[in-house]
Amino acid sequence: MALQLFKITDSTVASPVTSVTFSSIPQGYTDLIVKVSAKSSRVSANNTDYFKIKLNGSTTGYSDRSLYGNGSAAVSESNNATSYGFGFVLNGASSSTFSNFEMYIPNYTSSNYKSWSADGVAEDNATSAIAALNANLWSNTAAITSISFESANSANFLANSTFTLYGVL
Amino acid sequence: MAIRSLKTGTFTRSGMAGNPVIMPGSYESIASATVGSSGVVEFTSIPSTYSHLQIRAITRNSSGSTDVSDLLMQVGSANSPDTGTNYSRHEMSANGTAVSGGGAANSSFMFVSPSPRNGNTSGIFGPLIVDILDYANTNKFKTVKTLSATDMNGSGYVYISSGNWRNTAAINYIRLYISSVNFVTGTQFALYGVN
Repeated sequence: MALQLFKITDSTVASPVTSVTFSSIPQGYTDLIVKVSAKSSRVSANNTDYFKIKLNGSTTGYSDRSLYGNGSAAVSESNNATSYGFGFVLNGASSSTFSNFEMYIPNYTSSNYKSWSADGVAEDNATSAIAALNANLWSNTAAITSISFESANSANFLANSTFTLYGVL
Repeated sequence: MAIRSLKTGTFTRSGMAGNPVIMPGSYESIASATVGSSGVVEFTSIPSTYSHLQIRAITRNSSGSTDVSDLLMQVGSANSPDTGTNYSRHEMSANGTAVSGGGAANSSFMFVSPSPRNGNTSGIFGPLIVDILDYANTNKFKTVKTLSATDMNGSGYVYISSGNWRNTAAINYIRLYISSVNFVTGTQFALYGVN
């Protein structure tokens, strides 16, 4: 049987907010997918920000590995025992350009630790822009019932940022 | 047939009145194209009723040499391509030996993926998945992300690439092409709408 995708809920930012949270996530799907088209208020040299992702509101037990390119070179980096999952990448305050980001969480109700993958691009009309692949681990066996997104640099999500949560069967 | 409640995960015996509601899927086929010998694939009159678009494809092109050619994309809002320098494009790739990045501003197209040339072993095609989020949202420029991978039994590439169209209009047209060559038989494109 072919994979089936079902929209669970979505959120469109009307005015700047510090976080977006999906709560009371139904437990009847096999996997979860989140698609994000977002912009951060952060102003930085390369117009880039990053997602701080928390599952079930937890602030412990995360680790991640990333591979990213900046338009001229590619770099690998990692973080261990962190207080949030790392989502690379979120577009910073650059014109009307929004990032394109997706995370895939398999077996989100299982009693194993939760692994997820993510891919994202920031884009910008410049020679430099970030494209990234992430591996994340939440060392916790709880079923995932909520997912929250914040800026890793305490910035806001700007208006017209969209977050869509899907269930996969 | 047993029916699974998406909210609770429990199974019930049927979908009759009183049992959990069956929700329609959020992933729908809009159009597909199986290419013979053509240099361009176009999706026109794309409805604006979905939240996002996704293209899934496998390609191979008529260039007689080995290695790969660049699959490119232009979009538009009036059933025709914007051919101006209104795009930017970036990519990160690996070839089994090294990783690299590249990009350009003020481009007249977006780079999508590598496409195997016809000088490679027959039967080798390159797969790709393109995501265009909020393609009909008139409050934002359109950012495109592609994941692609091509192995040619001795060489190959893995890519994540991005493109941006600096226009807030809803996309109703997509053009995919490789400069100066055709796609070969077996190339397939499928456009999906994601609610």
